[in-house]
Amino acid sequence: MNIIFQKENFSVKKEIDSFSNSNRNSGSIMSFLGKVRPLNENREIKSIDIEFYEKMAFYQTKKIVFNLLKECSINDYTIIHRYGNLVPGENIVLVLVASKHRRESFIFLESIIDWLKKKITFWKKENYLTSSKWIEQ
Amino acid sequence: MKILYFAKLKQLIGKSEDHIKLNKSLKISEIIHELTKKNKKYATAFNQTNNLQYAVNCEYVNKNSLVKNEDELAIFPPVNGG
Repeated sequence: MNIIFQKENFSVKKEIDSFSNSNRNSGSIMSFLGKVRPLNENREIKSIDIEFYEKMAFYQTKKIVFNLLKECSINDYTIIHRYGNLVPGENIVLVLVASKHRRESFIFLESIIDWLKKKITFWKKENYLTSSKWIEQ
Repeated sequence: MKILYFAKLKQLIGKSEDHIKLNKSLKISEIIHELTKKNKKYATAFNQTNNLQYAVNCEYVNKNSLVKNEDELAIFPPVNGG
């Protein structure tokens, strides 16, 4: 059960292999990978800056996971979210979930991604050729 | 008390945190009112950032919540991770 916030990129293959190997008794391993898009509303994105409030991001993620675990019985999870300057095509977030059956993994995965958008303290700024804009919901 | 700013609000204010001394508990709205009197940058920043959110010691609260001197108050635009 890992929550990791890091600047560096990660290898999706390595993370999935490692997670899968340490969850050999789970019938379902599910993953979500969020990446930097090259375009937003037809504007070319040169890079994005991701800022976060570390202490609160950890606190809120743990709280959300704690509540989710009351609803869906999963065996393991890993959440990796990056911060810093990222260019299109790069990985932003990876969520891995292991459970006995697929249903629990689906619920956990979808809920975590939804909560990431609502409660976990990350913000994105898109950098275009000559300007920048904070992304507002 | 420590006040943290993030994202667009931080950029407009030009700094990431402030430390102020509170002799009694105050509502967050009262603290913001005091901050906006500090200088034009604060007034502009609070005016131009929509749907501000507030957290005290990492818990979401509303702007009518009371904060005390030992608290860490964070003020920021809506989050959008993932």
